[in-house]
Amino acid sequence: MIYLDNGATSFIKPPQVYRAVQRAMETCASPGRGSYGPAMTAGEVVYTCREEAGKLFHCAPEQVVMTMNGTHGLNIAIHSLFSPGDRVVISGFEHNAVTRPLYGLGARVEVAGRKLFDWEDTLKSFETALDRGVKGAVFTHVSNVFGYILPIREMAKLCRDRGIPFIIDAAQSAGMMNLDFENLGAAFIAMPGHKGLLGPQGTGLLLCKEPGRPLLRGGTGSLSMEQEMPDFLPDAQEAGTLNVPGIAGLAAGIQFVRSRGPEAIGKQEHRLLVSCAAGLKDLGMRVFAGDHQAGTLSFLSGLDCQETADILGRAGFALRAGLHCAPLAHESAGTIHTGTVRVSFGWNGNFPQTEAFLRAVSKLPPPVV
Amino acid sequence: METYFITFRSVTFAQRGERALQRQGISCYMMRTPRWMEERGCGYALSLQRGQEAVEILNREGISWRKLYWKGRDGSIQEVGL
Repeated sequence: MIYLDNGATSFIKPPQVYRAVQRAMETCASPGRGSYGPAMTAGEVVYTCREEAGKLFHCAPEQVVMTMNGTHGLNIAIHSLFSPGDRVVISGFEHNAVTRPLYGLGARVEVAGRKLFDWEDTLKSFETALDRGVKGAVFTHVSNVFGYILPIREMAKLCRDRGIPFIIDAAQSAGMMNLDFENLGAAFIAMPGHKGLLGPQGTGLLLCKEPGRPLLRGGTGSLSMEQEMPDFLPDAQEAGTLNVPGIAGLAAGIQFVRSRGPEAIGKQEHRLLVSCAAGLKDLGMRVFAGDHQAGTLSFLSGLDCQETADILGRAGFALRAGLHCAPLAHESAGTIHTGTVRVSFGWNGNFPQTEAFLRAVSKLPPPVV
Repeated sequence: METYFITFRSVTFAQRGERALQRQGISCYMMRTPRWMEERGCGYALSLQRGQEAVEILNREGISWRKLYWKGRDGSIQEVGL
């Protein structure tokens, strides 16, 4: 199988990730609760992961909260910053992990910037929305459907200049692009551990400027006499026993990313994307490609998107089709009624795989123009 | 032998403190905070010899700690006011 669904999860991990998970299961008890060997070993594993993440994203270890995925982190962040009725601006390329918590909370959502790969439109619309008065902003770094890289540095500055708190969804960029928590000045940055950071599923990170409002309440191994949750990081957001084997794998994944450099990984994925996009266009497919694109693209053949992915799946290519849990992004791009087929490259992708993929696509009919 | 205990609100701060001190050549041992030292419940502490010096390093590195205790040769323990 040639795996091209890294936008969903990085199915293939570096070998040290598998080893770290296995080792943790054999050596770790519950972290932060005891002082005997296996409990302290577990604590070391968790702290190592916080430290590695802190080095990668430029923040203190205690600002790194362990979550179960990116969605979990976004829920914590959104519930910490916003209340029912608050006006919140989001980009036109958000995932349901952003829109559903806002909807559930009863926030008044304003969508700003609907043009794909168009930084000018994104920034102008975003600024206009901010100036109409909002409680805060939430925006993705990279669209999970189209790979569109939003101008987050500029968007962050627009928010900072106005004193507006903001949340960044780094689900599709963490591990593939540089992210500097301190310089961006975000209130929160949420990310999964199992995509570009190469950890196991069931892991995620939330970088926090402040403790925020707890989403879960329970034991933390600290201040046990008090019924209020601790008001300090990371304990404020980490009730219950952590996923230590997962966190061990995530630490190994982050170490791997740091050794290669996220930018180098992202650039390689982008090179594959450029080659793939050109090949698909040559075959007459409808390809969504443009400036400011990461290692993910969408395309359409002459068949339904799900049928396309099924045929390619049977030919040995792992792809995802449909709406990708991001109907807003499809509305923005005009693909809400068709969906798309998504190709998302990963850390271990290569050109021969891309060529094999294009040979398989060449057997499909292109769309009728 | 005289021993100091530095208490922390959580394991994360104790770990950060432990690593900072070890980088400065101060050996320490991490443990659960003795129950009577922490009126608010559970926490972690570092046990070490060079208490005053350790506290200065923690302060310099911005690592939040709660209390400093001193254990004398006779086994008596008292909080050190700073």
